[in-house]
Amino acid sequence: MGTTATVTRHRGGSAIAWSLVGPTLLLLIAFNVFPLLYNVALSFTNRELVGDESRWVGTANYTRVFSDPLFAAALRRTALFVLCAVGAELLLGFALALALVRDFRLKRTVLAIVLVPMMLSPAVMGLYWALILNGNYGVLNQVLGEIGLPQPQWLTDRDLKFWSIVVIDVWMWTPFMALIALAGLSAIPSHLYEAAEIDRASRWRVFARITLPMTAPLLGLAVLLRATDALKQFDLVMATAGPNDAATQTLSTLMYQVVFRDGKIGLGSAFACVVLVVVIALATVFTRYLDHLRRARET
Amino acid sequence: MKRSPLCLSLSLLVASSLALLCACSKDPAPASSGGATSPQSITLWWFQWAPADGLQELGREFQKETGIEVVVEQIPLGSYQEKVFLEFGAARTRFDIVIGDSQWIGRGATKKLYLELTDWLPTVVDLKTIHPRAAKYLCEYPEGSGKWFAAPCETDAVGVAYRKDWFEDPAEKAAFQQRFGRPLAVPQTWEEFKDVAQFFQRPDAKRYGCSLPSDRSYDGLTMGVQNLLWAFGGRWHAETSNKVKGELDTPGSVAAIEFYKQLVKLGPKGAERLDYGQVLESFTNGSTAMILNYFAFFPGIHAQFGDKVGFAVVPAHQGKRVASLGGQGLSISSHIPPAQQELSKKFIAWFLQRRVQEQWITKPAGFTANADILKSPEFRAKAPYNGPFAESVDSMQDFWNVPVFNELLAVTQRYVGMAVDGEMPTEEALRKLADEKERILKEAGLL
Repeated sequence: MGTTATVTRHRGGSAIAWSLVGPTLLLLIAFNVFPLLYNVALSFTNRELVGDESRWVGTANYTRVFSDPLFAAALRRTALFVLCAVGAELLLGFALALALVRDFRLKRTVLAIVLVPMMLSPAVMGLYWALILNGNYGVLNQVLGEIGLPQPQWLTDRDLKFWSIVVIDVWMWTPFMALIALAGLSAIPSHLYEAAEIDRASRWRVFARITLPMTAPLLGLAVLLRATDALKQFDLVMATAGPNDAATQTLSTLMYQVVFRDGKIGLGSAFACVVLVVVIALATVFTRYLDHLRRARET
Repeated sequence: MKRSPLCLSLSLLVASSLALLCACSKDPAPASSGGATSPQSITLWWFQWAPADGLQELGREFQKETGIEVVVEQIPLGSYQEKVFLEFGAARTRFDIVIGDSQWIGRGATKKLYLELTDWLPTVVDLKTIHPRAAKYLCEYPEGSGKWFAAPCETDAVGVAYRKDWFEDPAEKAAFQQRFGRPLAVPQTWEEFKDVAQFFQRPDAKRYGCSLPSDRSYDGLTMGVQNLLWAFGGRWHAETSNKVKGELDTPGSVAAIEFYKQLVKLGPKGAERLDYGQVLESFTNGSTAMILNYFAFFPGIHAQFGDKVGFAVVPAHQGKRVASLGGQGLSISSHIPPAQQELSKKFIAWFLQRRVQEQWITKPAGFTANADILKSPEFRAKAPYNGPFAESVDSMQDFWNVPVFNELLAVTQRYVGMAVDGEMPTEEALRKLADEKERILKEAGLL
């Protein structure tokens, strides 16, 4: 009798568990797993955006991806973008958080203002920045002209264009880094600083031995989130330079060009699969590093 | 039978999710009518610009005469192509007629997206009244094959707009005469164009010589360069085949691009990356002496400046003058029911009538392909840009319109851009461009 009751209870519990997990699982399968598998299948075909023809082409699309200098260039450019943009965001965000961690008058107001850029739509901000940085009538060059400084062509000079987009991204996402860093800084127990003060530790030593290690895991997480997001950089490039500019083409805009302009769904799917593998590989390396940091702290 | 609150909430959540899914899956409007409410209506898609407003006005005339409502939906230019071709992925398109760029016609015809009009069109219009160049590039695929997939809607070509008041200023005339030993006049050759641009290039006074399309995001640079490319004896491909090597990478093409490079430097700041709108803006802000742009923009300039501006055909080189073609044709979607196709045909037949074309040219930037109207002195006298436009139509030529034109355009923009920017020697850029184009054409089975 007791066993039957346990089994019934177990079955009931299992039913509830499935009913809770089931809908999410179904949604995940429908919107994540199925499209992913479908994308992989498409990458082995010559499917186009329009027309019914779809023929198995084996690994031809992948051969094309790996032999295409455009893909290699876009990959290099995207990596440079991630490195520079996320690196600058990390440094500036952390500096901002250090400035904001102490209490001062109007702290909440300042914090709210600082966070505004990350709450705006990147596409809309891209369009605004395109107006601000316009070489002829942009506000920035008007101001520079008024004070007698040179007026570079921020969005048309091939040497400046890419860096202008990096700067816009840094402007948008530094607050995000600052927010995460601020959370990490606020969580550091004050007794550690008190102990360091008793030991007369220098400010640099306090920073290097307490502040930085204690916030590192959270900063690492922020870098992971930003890096995976920056790898997909699309909106700002589209809004300021379009998808086909050799100086600014990232992986996402290259894929857009291939799929939506050239209409090559099969080739675009192969591009997407390769990018996915790159993102997963990077994310794995990062999460392992974070794990390593966590274990180091525990020991 | 007592139910736990958890089960109840779960049931509610599932029920509301299902309801939401059902609501989302409902078709909001009949696909072919594009949301139009009239029992008999057709929907046209075009990009957002002045001629689309004019077409909508004409559509109201059509409705008065036939009772068939015409809805012209205007899509922002930046996303127009993508939206149209994504729409063709659906079993029924939301438009009945698409006013597609001339370069799309190969894709539309070969993928069976556009209805073939070859047998029907001659029954409603005398094909001889359609200017042969408009027919060849806007309507037929392959070019000049006699297979029609569109009817001409907006015919357009690149021309020159210039500051007539500057050209007629006695002080400027004297200074030009002294410097160049000839009168300051509307440039007839590209060499003269460069001289005039050099003469007016005064950055310190915020006055510039010329603005040319040079944008890399879609087709600006290519549409600008090809006016010179053809005039200097270059070409994108052989006249009777798609062969590119030995046709594009020639001294004529190199000279044309080198010349364009020099002209771009005679413009305002950022002149190496100007889209059509920015070229226009550099002129309407009163800073630039001459621009190279599509005639469809010129009525707006004339409305703003009046007699202070003049219009001309593109200059020639050693007697050869070729204008880059613009414009779009009316194509009926093959992804709509036969009844909608019939209504669409009725509209096209009505639109092509001479009396309607005469109304069309009175609309903002409405330019016709009707050869008789183009030839008529009344048309040429109606507006200062009409004469040069009619002359340009006689010499206009188009970029590729094969199904893989987008890929060809992308590599052209890239390599010509590198040459213009000085990132790569022009000869090398053209050689690589020819290689790339032949690869794309071979992959598409077109070579």
